[in-house]
Amino acid sequence: MNRTKTATHRRRLTELLDPDFMARLDSLDVLSRKILKSKLQGERRSKRHGQSVEFADHRPYVAGDDLRFVDWNIYGRLEQLFLKLFMEEQDLTIHIVIDISASLSVGKPSKELFIKKLAAALGYVSLVNNNRLTISSFSDGVKGQLKNMRGRNYIGAMAEFLLTSDCEGPSHFESSCQQLVAGRIGTGVMIVLSDFLFKEGLDTGLRRLISRQYDLYVIQVLSPEELSPELTGDLKLVDIEDTDTAEITISSALLKYYKRNITAYCNELKDFCARRGAAYVLANSADSVESLTLNYLRRIRLLR
Amino acid sequence: MEWLTPFTALYALAATLPLLLLLYFLKLKRREQTISSTLLWKRAVQDLQVNAPFQKIRRNILLLLQLLMLLAILLALAGPILSLTTGPSRRFVLLIDRSASMSANDIKPMRLDAAKKQASTFVESLRGKAFFSLRDESDQVMIIAFDDHAKVMCNFTSDKHQLHSTIEAITAGDGGSALAEAIVVARAFAQSPGTEGNNRSAETPAQLILFSDGKIRDVDQIAVGSGELIFNCIGKSPQNIAITAMQARRSYENPDEISVFATIANYDTEETTCDVQLSINDNVQAVRAVTIPPQTTSDTAVTAQPGKVSIDFSLSHVDAGVLEVRQLQPDSLACDDAAWAILSPPRKLTVLLVTAGNIVLESALKACPLAGLELCSPDEFEAKDFGTISVEQPYDVIVLDNHIPTQLPKCRYLVFGHPPEGIDVSAPEQLENQVIVDWRPRHPVLKYVNLMNLFAAKCFKMTLPRDSETLAEFGQSPALALVRRKGSIFLLAGFDILQTNWPFEPGFILFCYNATAFLGMQAGQNQETNLRVGQPIIVEGLAAETPAEVSGPGFSGNEIKANAAGNIRFPGIDKVGVYSLNVPDQPLRLFAVNLLDLQESNIEPMREIILSGQAVQAQDNPISRSNLPLWPFLVGIALILVLLEWLIYNSKVRI
Repeated sequence: MNRTKTATHRRRLTELLDPDFMARLDSLDVLSRKILKSKLQGERRSKRHGQSVEFADHRPYVAGDDLRFVDWNIYGRLEQLFLKLFMEEQDLTIHIVIDISASLSVGKPSKELFIKKLAAALGYVSLVNNNRLTISSFSDGVKGQLKNMRGRNYIGAMAEFLLTSDCEGPSHFESSCQQLVAGRIGTGVMIVLSDFLFKEGLDTGLRRLISRQYDLYVIQVLSPEELSPELTGDLKLVDIEDTDTAEITISSALLKYYKRNITAYCNELKDFCARRGAAYVLANSADSVESLTLNYLRRIRLLR
Repeated sequence: MEWLTPFTALYALAATLPLLLLLYFLKLKRREQTISSTLLWKRAVQDLQVNAPFQKIRRNILLLLQLLMLLAILLALAGPILSLTTGPSRRFVLLIDRSASMSANDIKPMRLDAAKKQASTFVESLRGKAFFSLRDESDQVMIIAFDDHAKVMCNFTSDKHQLHSTIEAITAGDGGSALAEAIVVARAFAQSPGTEGNNRSAETPAQLILFSDGKIRDVDQIAVGSGELIFNCIGKSPQNIAITAMQARRSYENPDEISVFATIANYDTEETTCDVQLSINDNVQAVRAVTIPPQTTSDTAVTAQPGKVSIDFSLSHVDAGVLEVRQLQPDSLACDDAAWAILSPPRKLTVLLVTAGNIVLESALKACPLAGLELCSPDEFEAKDFGTISVEQPYDVIVLDNHIPTQLPKCRYLVFGHPPEGIDVSAPEQLENQVIVDWRPRHPVLKYVNLMNLFAAKCFKMTLPRDSETLAEFGQSPALALVRRKGSIFLLAGFDILQTNWPFEPGFILFCYNATAFLGMQAGQNQETNLRVGQPIIVEGLAAETPAEVSGPGFSGNEIKANAAGNIRFPGIDKVGVYSLNVPDQPLRLFAVNLLDLQESNIEPMREIILSGQAVQAQDNPISRSNLPLWPFLVGIALILVLLEWLIYNSKVRI
């Protein structure tokens, strides 16, 4: 029974990811650049000395210590109480945040599909390696959340979540960030997938996300049309989210200024992240998710 | 600078300028395009606006260019002309030769068209009415076309449109060229104020401008002041073959036999061979090749004499018909390549001789080929019903020998002795021993008649009315005279034939033949049918107000009416060819109109004409414009502006 259910879910996930690709993802794991604290014992080395097989150090006993960790062999030899300290292995919490505002649905190839694929790949890697995975989606607030998934059994649920969240509505990054931080789950890696085209600005929102407990990855996905538009003539550009309009007449000068602007915008975001210890990745939705995941994310050591 | 059509441009301005501005300020319809965020575009637009120099001008430069272009087009529409001539306004008379030689096609399509073109160019270069000028400096032009007669086509005006259409309306004629009348008319009109009615006429004499090939017939009658006449010579080649004389005549002895004589002239400097064709009623009867010698130049003659050759045909034809002699070699001038003659059927006359007994006259008349000769004594003549003679015309000619009738029925008379009463001829006294001192040998009555030895022992001293024709004169009196009175024609011989030595002369029989033939020909049908160009067609002796129709080369069925005296006069023949006059219930009358003019057929263009001894040289160059129409430059500017606009627009849009 359980097996067939898994099979169904696996089939759902294949809508986003190739089986071949998934097979290659099986060998990867999510890395955190920081060694972070976690609640549950896991497979990761943590800063905290705790229950593990890997010996770390000894220290003198003080009243109140758990007698189970006393090194009786040393007590036999020296008649002093020493405690054996072990490296505690903790599980890693991975929080994937995806943007499902309407702006993602624009562009060819679709940014929405790209983001969902990437989220699926990263989520898959997390679940396969028994990490604790939380997936959130936001537009003008957190729209949906799957908390604390662990193990392969949740693959189906994750796929279901990704496939059923449609991109619509306006975006409000700051309030979304506020809600995410308020419902924080443990420590770990946070990966934010969005196009980061927010009119109210990025700074305040990102500032809330950046904290000591999180290893933050910012992945900005833009479509080729946004990176180098191929428009001609007299146009009335309509913003899909707030139906704001901009009347433009395409000219070489205007396109030059646009390109200069988008480069500056991306660089600004990159600088912001670099200054605050977050990693920034700019992805073109025309690129393949596979190569991004297997090559680039490994190179920046998000994956191992 | 003057403007031909300023109001057209103003109307166009009123229509187009608001339209252009309206179009410019209309909101551009933009294509809608949904994008993820307008954030970056708005920034880009802001950057563009901030960084682009000369914001306002840039926004409007296209409009500015469009306005400039519109302005250029409107100015072009107004027809500006930069006048290169200055000074006070002048008056010109264009004299355009439309004689036969101007129909020569050595300048394609023909000389007259070249003349008209030059005249148009001249008109074009005149200064017209300046609309925005304070002073009136417009030139005025009058146009006269002339052949044998001058015709004022257009009085002095500065309306170029009217002048152009007038020049276009000039058609080629087949007449000769007589300039004197044209110059007289031009001078007469130059005194008049012209259509504009201003009083500039007396200030300066009008400048005469002649467009001709220089073949002017009456150069000796013209005198012009120096510089008064500007001569534009038109024509290139003198090469022409012309029929310069033609006559058809029935034989005396056998009226069925017809002799046709023609003279063909060659105006080329080389010998030419051409085919000459004779046809009757368009049926070709004979074609003969003739070789014509080249024209000869002699030191004495001013102009070269053409090489001439005579040709004669004889054929037998009983009925009436139209004879045509045509030379078949194509040459420059077409109207002298053919000549026509109207052939009347042989007609025999009935003659009444009224005499108390005159064996000489009787036998002389018997020798003539007459249909009938009736003799009667004066008493018998008086007993005849004169009314019947007047109406039924049983006699073609009545010969009165020493008889003065009491009444004169309408007829043709040959009178020997005392002239009849009531014809304004008086013969109060008798003269003796008269000899002929002068006679007109070219008159048909005296053709081949030699009067040199005529001596009259006694004759009447006739006093003739002014409108009579004297054919021969004695020392103190007319001997032979033609008088027309009351519809009758009298050929008067003021002597008794038996009182002269004439019966012993061979000329007497010829005279009788000529006189009866001439008088018989004057009877209604047989009138002059061989005309020159310009001569009117005249038919007499019809009932008053008789309608008739004239047809000819290029027109047919022109209605014409006889006047109260029963005469028809049709003056409008300026083309060679066969004309016909159709009077209801009468046989068709045919008229042959020929050029037959040695001088007019000489189409050699003259670079110099000598008017009463004063030489006028032809202008070296054809007339060219002395003003500059500016519209092509303006259109060019408009084109450049369009290109500039296109360039600017593209540089803004180019990716």
